[in-house]
Amino acid sequence: MPLLVKARSFLRNLFLFRRVEADLDQEVHSHLEMLIEEKIRAGMPPEEARRAARIELGGVEQVKERVRDARVGAFFESLVQDLRFALRQMRRSPGFALTAVFTLALGIAANVIVFGVLQALVLRQLDLPHADRVMTLQPQEGGPFLSYPEMRDVRDDNTVFSAVAGVEIQEFGLEANGVTRHVWGYEVSGQYFEVVGIKPFLGRLLERADDDHPGASEAAVLSWSAWKSDFGADPNIVGTTVRIAKHRYTIVGVTPEGFYGTEKFAQIDIFVPMANEASLDGVNWLESRSHKDVFSIVRIKNEFTLPQAQAELKTIAARIARQYPKDEEGLAFKLARPGLIGDFIGGPARGFLAGVMGLAGIVLLAACANLGSLFAARTADRTREIAIRLAIGSSRWRILRQILVEAFVISIFGGTCACGLAWMALTGLAGWHPPSRFPFKFHVLPQPSLILMAFLISVLAGVLFGVMPLRQIFKTDPNDAIKSGGSQYSAGRRWALRDVLLAAQIALCCVTVTAAFVSLRGLGKALTMDLGFNPKNAVRTQFDLSRAGYSSDAAADHFQRQLLERVSEIPGVEAAGYANTTPLSFEQAGTAVFSQQSVDFRPSKKAFNTYFYEVSPGYLTASGTPLLAGRDVSFTDTAETPPVAIVNQEFARRLFHSEHAVGRYFKNRSGVSIQIVGIMADGKHFTLSEDPEAAAFFPISQVGDTRTSLIVRTRRDTADMVATIRDAVRDLDRAVPIQESGPWNSQLALSLFPSQVATVALGLFGAFGLLLSITGTFGLASYTVSKRLRELSIRVVLGAQAKQILYAALGRLLILLASGSVVGILLGVAASRLLSAIVYQATAQDPFVLGAVALTLLLTGSLSVAGPVRRVLDVDPANLLREQ
Amino acid sequence: MSPEQTNLLQGTLDLLILKSLIAGEMHGLGASRRIQQITGGTFLVKPGSLFPALHRMEEEGWISSFWGDSENNRRAKYYRLTKAGRRQLEVETKRWGRITWAIAQALDAS
Repeated sequence: MPLLVKARSFLRNLFLFRRVEADLDQEVHSHLEMLIEEKIRAGMPPEEARRAARIELGGVEQVKERVRDARVGAFFESLVQDLRFALRQMRRSPGFALTAVFTLALGIAANVIVFGVLQALVLRQLDLPHADRVMTLQPQEGGPFLSYPEMRDVRDDNTVFSAVAGVEIQEFGLEANGVTRHVWGYEVSGQYFEVVGIKPFLGRLLERADDDHPGASEAAVLSWSAWKSDFGADPNIVGTTVRIAKHRYTIVGVTPEGFYGTEKFAQIDIFVPMANEASLDGVNWLESRSHKDVFSIVRIKNEFTLPQAQAELKTIAARIARQYPKDEEGLAFKLARPGLIGDFIGGPARGFLAGVMGLAGIVLLAACANLGSLFAARTADRTREIAIRLAIGSSRWRILRQILVEAFVISIFGGTCACGLAWMALTGLAGWHPPSRFPFKFHVLPQPSLILMAFLISVLAGVLFGVMPLRQIFKTDPNDAIKSGGSQYSAGRRWALRDVLLAAQIALCCVTVTAAFVSLRGLGKALTMDLGFNPKNAVRTQFDLSRAGYSSDAAADHFQRQLLERVSEIPGVEAAGYANTTPLSFEQAGTAVFSQQSVDFRPSKKAFNTYFYEVSPGYLTASGTPLLAGRDVSFTDTAETPPVAIVNQEFARRLFHSEHAVGRYFKNRSGVSIQIVGIMADGKHFTLSEDPEAAAFFPISQVGDTRTSLIVRTRRDTADMVATIRDAVRDLDRAVPIQESGPWNSQLALSLFPSQVATVALGLFGAFGLLLSITGTFGLASYTVSKRLRELSIRVVLGAQAKQILYAALGRLLILLASGSVVGILLGVAASRLLSAIVYQATAQDPFVLGAVALTLLLTGSLSVAGPVRRVLDVDPANLLREQ
Repeated sequence: MSPEQTNLLQGTLDLLILKSLIAGEMHGLGASRRIQQITGGTFLVKPGSLFPALHRMEEEGWISSFWGDSENNRRAKYYRLTKAGRRQLEVETKRWGRITWAIAQALDAS
């Protein structure tokens, strides 16, 4: 078998290298000896015979080299030689090697990390069987929520879905083994586990029968992680009784590991039937079409396509809209990928990650440009060596290959370090909990596929900067190079590729620096911006009385007023008040506003939507919301007195085109007239980056709500006050479960979260960009100077002034720096427009930002050319000219 | 190189080495002298071409090698044809026959 023989030879050449070599050596020598003997026998004198034999042989080493070239795997063998040579080169200049590996490692790690997050949150589907059939069903416009009846109509009328389910995320007090834990769970409708299609790890999952009617079942399913951490992985868990919101539930099963609900960044502990809504939540919205609070998730039947499903949804929506014109006018559904609050934050998340991915790519490109110019400079230094190699018969390909191998070795080292960095970062991110009571968990654990990614990026990067010297090698003319001492490719008159590379790199780095400054500035503004209320020196305590058995609003009202009285008497309390919910917290509600003249209350006839809150007297003062005109709400505003409201300036402007609104009226969606009794300042309600929105405060004594957020403004230390208020609530009723209590400031941390994340990410990129431009500029500047030192000394001798010398040495570099910076800042300004969606008031047209960017670049530039400049000015012509 | 000696035509070296080994095992010098002899001194195979060819053909499995003693009791590496080598010789011979026939035809054409 020739193939087998070949393979054996290959392995022999590879592993028995020394023996093969010794064999060859002996063979060639014995051949020489025999030649000599032959010639002596033919009558030549021994000396002459020896000489003739050597001539005939043509050199022992040359013969051996030609045999080596003919061997199987000769290519591979020389590759190994190149590899050894590359490693030796790296050992010889460890500074260069370390810088290169470090630069690349950061560049590649940035890409791998961002890609890891992108993959986990956007690219990867939920980990479900046939996940491509699972979609989230949501309204065409607005938020991701449907009302329960809408979900039910789609479920019962369709032919394209094998299952349709509703989900509501809820927090529960879970009582088990005598301890109450605060857990997050899903209320799910009957077909939920048919939609997700998973098999239980233990017991069974919830079925249609469990959700048939309120009280149909008291079954609950635990998630694997809750079973593992909260129940000690008890194998006999099925059948255990627990209490949820004071009601008995039986654990009937555990979900498999790796199932964490159908959101990509949350960790859900327990699943209960949605039919029991009223007993769990205190309010019943299962029949309300206006209460849009349900995520809907569907599984498309295998025999239908997405367009077919969408077409049927259109007819269903039209039918619902015809049937319930008042509530459902203009209803339209859409299907989207599930996992990002339905698909609610899908757009921004994709946009932001794509932007960051772009930046990461830019950083890597800049790093490659950096290394490329270093490589080109090194190659230029080796022109003479390359010329000699070419002259004695080496092929250009062989020389290029050796440089490529060197580039690859560096990029693979870099990639390996990057893998380690990315692994640590992603593991850290997966175990990290943002400042929120919401069960955030980023399922971004590093995947093995990322190693492949890192490898591919490394190879790409290696090729990118490895081929930079390509032109140089192919243009090297051995004759010229050796004659002129290898200096014609040094910083001569022509613009070299590496000059362009440096300018490009500076421009790219400018983009990252500009982006970093823009987001820093935005964050700074966000931290000091006017929220419309003052969270400093205030304590917020949140609880829901329905969880403690206060089913009627009257009972809740009694408790709330009692608490307010008690709290107001605590020494150090300046003001206190409560509301059903507060601006910038999770629970925000909106409602339609109609003008006083309206008679038609279909949604399309509304004037606008407003955020609304129900507040107690004193809330305005306690929260620091400025009342600009009119009066505060009062406990004398009751269900029996005419409805009143305090509205903000934006509300008044939108309805009356003026801020003089006190005493005027508007109508709500039920057609009830409401009198405006006060005007308050505008503020932020949902996100910090939102435009001014309308908001209205209704008297809680007029409406009634069991949800309570108590705000206490204090002169004392807020941490102290938090504990005091907690005690006050407990003293009144031990059973009231406090959901959140703490300084208001720190509870708002989540609102600042997106801008903080953006700022940290962009700041890192910016710093990395700066680092790259410093090393790049410094490298090229010192290279240029060292190459032209001789010429410069001659100029000094001929009487050139320091300024002229500097210009001669570094003038071109300065032009490069300046043009690169200008292009980069322009690009950065253009790119920063994208940022304004995430970071509040991020704009690059800010003179402060532009000034800071310019100053930073100036400083970096001077810092990186300072060394070379000194060297130029310190030139000692006498010494230098003697040396060379 | 004397005027009668000719450079080897591309592809003929393998054929000549295989042919020279058909008579029996031989070391490198022997093969080289044998080729010189059977071609009437037209071809002189230099070690720089001979050894790479021998090693390559060994890796192809056409010949095998072993260490033995030469006529003068010097250790030398001997080569002998394998079965695959004999087959290869037939293939090469046929191919060469076709080439010489074709060239002769071309030259005869008027």
